[in-house]
Amino acid sequence: MLKYLDNIALIGEDIPALAALRQKGKVAFTGLPDKKTEAYKYTPVSSCLKEEMFSKPAHCHTHQDGHCDCEQKHLPFDAYEILFCNGTLHEHFHFCDGLEVSSLLDAVTDHEIGKYINKFELEKFPFAALNTAFLEQGIFLRVFKDIKKPIGLIYHTKQNGFENIHNIVVLEKNVNAEIIEVFEGKNSISLTNVVNEFFVLQNATLTHYKWQNSSPQAVHITLNRVDIKADGKYQSYTLQTGSKLARDETQACLKEQNASAVVNAAYRLSADGLVDTTTDIEHLSPSTASNQIVRGVVDGQAHGVFQGKIHIAPNTFDVSGHQSHKALLLSDDAKIDVKPELEIFADDVQCSHGATSGDLNANELFYLQSRGIDEQTARTVLTSAFLKTAFEDIPNSDIKIFFEELLMG
Amino acid sequence: MNGNRRMTNKKPLLEIKNLSASVAGKEIIKNLSLTIFEGQTHVIMGPNGAGKSTLSHVLTGKPGYEVTSGSITFKGKNLLDLSIDERANEGLFLIMQYPVEIPGVSFMTFLKYALNAKRKYLGLDELSAPEFIKLVQTQAQKLAIDKEMLGRAVNVGFSGGEKKRMETLQMALLKPALSILDEADSGLDIDALKVVSKGINDLDDGKRALLIITHHQDLLEYIKPDFVHVFAGGRIIKTGDKNLALELEAKGYTDFIKEAQC
Ligand SMILES: Nc1ncnc2c1ncn2[C@@H]1O[C@H](COP(=O)(O)OP(=O)(O)O)[C@@H](O)[C@H]1O
Ligand SMILES: [Mg+2]
Repeated sequence: MLKYLDNIALIGEDIPALAALRQKGKVAFTGLPDKKTEAYKYTPVSSCLKEEMFSKPAHCHTHQDGHCDCEQKHLPFDAYEILFCNGTLHEHFHFCDGLEVSSLLDAVTDHEIGKYINKFELEKFPFAALNTAFLEQGIFLRVFKDIKKPIGLIYHTKQNGFENIHNIVVLEKNVNAEIIEVFEGKNSISLTNVVNEFFVLQNATLTHYKWQNSSPQAVHITLNRVDIKADGKYQSYTLQTGSKLARDETQACLKEQNASAVVNAAYRLSADGLVDTTTDIEHLSPSTASNQIVRGVVDGQAHGVFQGKIHIAPNTFDVSGHQSHKALLLSDDAKIDVKPELEIFADDVQCSHGATSGDLNANELFYLQSRGIDEQTARTVLTSAFLKTAFEDIPNSDIKIFFEELLMG
Repeated sequence: MNGNRRMTNKKPLLEIKNLSASVAGKEIIKNLSLTIFEGQTHVIMGPNGAGKSTLSHVLTGKPGYEVTSGSITFKGKNLLDLSIDERANEGLFLIMQYPVEIPGVSFMTFLKYALNAKRKYLGLDELSAPEFIKLVQTQAQKLAIDKEMLGRAVNVGFSGGEKKRMETLQMALLKPALSILDEADSGLDIDALKVVSKGINDLDDGKRALLIITHHQDLLEYIKPDFVHVFAGGRIIKTGDKNLALELEAKGYTDFIKEAQC
């Protein structure tokens, strides 16, 4: 497959800083993960890749005002929307006071970006290394003041090909902001490879929502890299319902005292897709806290994967890390693989993890049907109630309703 | 108030003929026949394990219950051809002995789906949100159900009495033609019993029928039966009027069962 990557021409080769970054990515990239790659042992990504995914999608036709001819659905609530069409950023931003947005290409020429890009071990993440080797698209977002509306990142995919996106978001001290990512695609045979780097500075709170509803033939890979400083909070709510294969990976580093993270997720699959939720929560300081609720529903020949690691560094204390994964297996051919991992090198620690799977409760189903609700609706009511557990604490009521409606199909 | 129903209501609502049914390969209902007309109240009393709940489950279509012979007609239709939800939408309602808890689904959501399912079945439009809320709250008030309870998950953490009141609320909203009360009175204190039976009586439009399964004749102080049946060994062994209930409460079932075996 990799030979096809040579077909992809990039812009910006003349920017030395960019060329240097890409070179680093090329060096760090030692090939796509295969069966022997421990981090991908349940997620056979190579077998899902197709030749069509390794070309650069054509640009869509953009009008003067920034709109293009692609069919576009807007978020059903008021938000600042930033659009990517077939992996290309539409540079038409709505600015507001306290928010600085630029394309990644523009940001790279600004030397400030060096402080924020690739602040992790690229070698450990094959797709992130690939992402860096093809660095071009993405946004650089800095938030200086509380932002009242959510910032929407809409990724709209219609064409086959390779979408490589690298976003950097910096929340300055004491700032609150919400980001919602929506990935939508219908029939495209695409590979979407996203790296998000989030920097949550002292006492800032970033709430990150994501709905992945890509084409059933698409491969979707995301790495969310999060750095959280003292009293900072990162909370994420991810819903995945699309793709042939999707991996949403989060590495959150609780770097300073009182940093906290909530990494909740739900997935619902009915055909033959695979959704992989992989998390690595690194408690690197005392009095840090993390909580994860992950719920999945798999039907048909679908496959759910959850790998959750909680690492508690030596010399920390007063740390709590909790994790729970539960899944409903609705057919004999559906499958779940779960790998929880606790790495605890400290004493004063409260940690827990739990994982269970089962079928819908027959009595609950009968009860709903006995009140006149047809079986299909009753099943949807029960599965969405189950998945909703992951979204119970969503702070934005518009987005909570939006997610609940998505769960009802 | 039910005085002359036997004479005037001649439309059979439910006709069970020579019904046999089994659970897990074991025959529980044995050659049972029972006809209920519009407006009638029938009471079934019988020892534990006699098959009373099994009958209610066979009627409502709960999976796992197999009808081995006989027929059931409801409003002129073959009940056994209908799915669980079709039976409900045709007007069959069961107040369950053990109402099911459904975490994550609020009562309001549940009631909205149930009501709209019925309306859709009847070819009516869905209720608007304000209409729905008003309807539910008005009914809830009559049953002394707190608004706060409607926002909670279905039956989760509810007391026995609260669960039965919520069952009555559903019955009031769905207005079934035939309601089966499976030990609706068990575990209720006297106040809750009054609320539930008043709720049930308020629904009396002269046509709705009741099939009450109970161990106690207390409930019958509030809801007057037309017939009382003694149910044992999977069938009805004796039928009488409300005095039979008093007799049963006083003497127990043993004598009746012995008598039937002779
Ligand atoms: N799901 C089931 N599986 C096996 N046996 C059952 C089941 N449901 C009921 N039974 C059996 O059927 C008989 C009648 O039970 P039930 O109808 O609950 O009696 P009642 O309501 O009259 O007390 C009992 O022996 C009970 O154990
Ligand atoms: Mg019973």
